[in-house]
Amino acid sequence: MKNNIKVERAKKNITQAQLAELVQVSRQTINAIELGKYNLSTTLALKIAQVFNQSVHNIFELEESDWQP
Amino acid sequence: MKANYLFPNRFKKIGWFLFVPGVLLGILYLMYPSDISLFNMNVLVIAEEEIFSNTNFLSISENYVLDEIASILLITGALLIAFSKEKSEDEFIAKIRLESLVWATYVNYAILILAIMFVYEMTFLWVLVFNMFTLLIFFLIRFNWALYTSKNQISDEE
Repeated sequence: MKNNIKVERAKKNITQAQLAELVQVSRQTINAIELGKYNLSTTLALKIAQVFNQSVHNIFELEESDWQP
Repeated sequence: MKANYLFPNRFKKIGWFLFVPGVLLGILYLMYPSDISLFNMNVLVIAEEEIFSNTNFLSISENYVLDEIASILLITGALLIAFSKEKSEDEFIAKIRLESLVWATYVNYAILILAIMFVYEMTFLWVLVFNMFTLLIFFLIRFNWALYTSKNQISDEE
């Protein structure tokens, strides 16, 4: 799954730590998501989208590899 | 949905206060397996099979309790350290926790299987003694190492 959290953060001018605080997770979690190392829960995806005032689809995007078993 | 079977974060500290004395008393037991008279006391026995003698059920008998005290402190301490929430416990940490627990279980039983194959008699009894604690200890090492590396990655990024 691809995401453009980093871009959205830059637009909103907030750090990983600030975003982490806004969505009530640790900073490691935001970092791991941005690096594509962690597939986050639906709840957290919705929270992040809400912080950026976007729909989830504008921030997260499926990749071909997500369909591989 | 919120049931994750973890203790609140403050129990981690209590865990260390039990675990460290447990380790020290455990080392004391390895050095003095029987001669500290303070630790001889009567205990309630549910079952014991004495060597060259009968099996007793529900009796009172004298026992050197140093190893019992050390084991209980070690196990309860390690459980509290392992299964208290991190300061910022979240879904990503829960994933690291699960992976570490699976990893620790594999490593623990791999070592036990090797010991079953290659270690015999009294030495094997010692393997069993240590095996009571190693699952938790392997978990603690792996979990904290994984947390540490995930924190360290942040300083590369930002």
